[in-house]
Amino acid sequence: MFSEPFMQRALIAALCLGPLCAFLGVFVTARRMAFFSDTISHGALAGVAIGLWLGFPDPTIALIGVSLLVAGAIFWLKEKTDLLTDTIMALLLSGSVALGIIILSLLKRRPGDIHNYLFGDIFAIRWWEVGLIPALVLVVGVGLFLMLNRVSLITVHEDLAHVSGVPVRFMNFLFIVVLTLTVAVTIRLLGIILVTALIVVPPAAARNLSRNLRQQIVLSFVFGLLGALGGTGLSYQLNLPCGPAIVMTCIVLFIISLLPRTALRPRPV
Amino acid sequence: MHLRTPNKEEPLAIEITDLRLTLAGVAILQGVNLKVPAGRLVALIGPNGAGKTTLLRCMLGLQRDYSGEVKLFGQAGLKRVLPRIGYVPQRLNLERTFVLSVREFLCLRLRQTRSWFWRSHRSNDAALRGSLAEIGVESLLDRPLANLSGGELQRVLIAYSLLTNPDLLLLDEPTAGVDLPGEQTFYDLIGEIHKKRRITVMLVSHDLSMVYRHADWIYALNGVICCEGPPQTIMNAESLKQAYGIHVSPYEHHHHGHDHHHH
Repeated sequence: MFSEPFMQRALIAALCLGPLCAFLGVFVTARRMAFFSDTISHGALAGVAIGLWLGFPDPTIALIGVSLLVAGAIFWLKEKTDLLTDTIMALLLSGSVALGIIILSLLKRRPGDIHNYLFGDIFAIRWWEVGLIPALVLVVGVGLFLMLNRVSLITVHEDLAHVSGVPVRFMNFLFIVVLTLTVAVTIRLLGIILVTALIVVPPAAARNLSRNLRQQIVLSFVFGLLGALGGTGLSYQLNLPCGPAIVMTCIVLFIISLLPRTALRPRPV
Repeated sequence: MHLRTPNKEEPLAIEITDLRLTLAGVAILQGVNLKVPAGRLVALIGPNGAGKTTLLRCMLGLQRDYSGEVKLFGQAGLKRVLPRIGYVPQRLNLERTFVLSVREFLCLRLRQTRSWFWRSHRSNDAALRGSLAEIGVESLLDRPLANLSGGELQRVLIAYSLLTNPDLLLLDEPTAGVDLPGEQTFYDLIGEIHKKRRITVMLVSHDLSMVYRHADWIYALNGVICCEGPPQTIMNAESLKQAYGIHVSPYEHHHHGHDHHHH
């Protein structure tokens, strides 16, 4: 399995993206942004369709561009209207899926192509992406780690963070951009529909076993790594779509994390 | 404790001049003038919707687009005075999935322990020691912040805000969600901190009976400062009724009744 070049690429991507998504996920879940990440990933379907329509050999650039546009649209609509964020995101999610499907059906693509974008594809990772992904992970991971104090404080209370000298608006903007880029890149591996699972499930499993944030971050990182690598391996061995294989591996880890929960729980005083 | 009207020689911790703010067509602050001499423990009271929290937000730079002037310690630029301010928000809206412990939360305030992630408990606790003993939160250190009761959380927030030794402590409805005995203990704690540290404290509250016992000076806000003065004077002032509406009159009958609630 390690001798196949496509598999080497997929494993490198999984090795990088699993832990990164899981690390970001600790804050995404705490800030109730799981649906936000889901909206961005579904926006990518329109991106893929537009990329193919414009005749790009590889629609990744269009995918990232449209994801960023959707993220921007969420904030623009939030500022300009009185609508709930939930409503805005549901609107953009279904809108971009509809747009993507319409364009793809006009292009008369074989359903197989769409399938790979929806559920992930271990053949999808190209060599140039294998260069891009570790670079992204390094910048985002190290950056997030250095700003851990600020991001944690914003998660606790934005006003308190402001009074403590944290540039809240700028940090929020940065967080959104980083999350959008990470989701967009991870789509190749997990697929549009399932990418949010890698952001939500490892932190949730880690939460079950943690008594403080440090533990949650470390465990989430480990679960993300195991889930992504294990799932990619299973996908190859059992000839399964890559996304579902990774998600199911994460879910199994989550179920295991539930087991010692009663034993570790602080006893009522 | 000597009580007198602020005079010009005293250094001012807070000086607000003709502060006006309209939000969504509603004039919330209609020309607020306020001078708080340094070292006082003052209370800002007023009914719900009087603009108390908004005024606080203007002072902290959380609310912009107001007209008028806010000066803290004689400075109009907030950037330079922000490190001298401790702020205790009403409540946290924390997800239980986020397991930040009390120790980790307090470490976030100490810039030099940015590396709390790798540090041992012992070295963190040494850095936090002074503030912990004063507030009595040692027993809470290993608890997740999201699992604390209202009273416990308030004490942790106070400890957090005191870590950088502020000169001005601003508390926004600090006892919302705290039971009555807890509320008393809390105000006693604030009084103690004020005495020991000689800092300026401003409490925002809609509960007159509590602040009455502890504040040196009370400001009654309802769009403007309707009246101000030492507690004994202000409790009997005609103008308080203006601030509170007509519901308040029972206050006059039990000045020492800090266990009475107004409703």
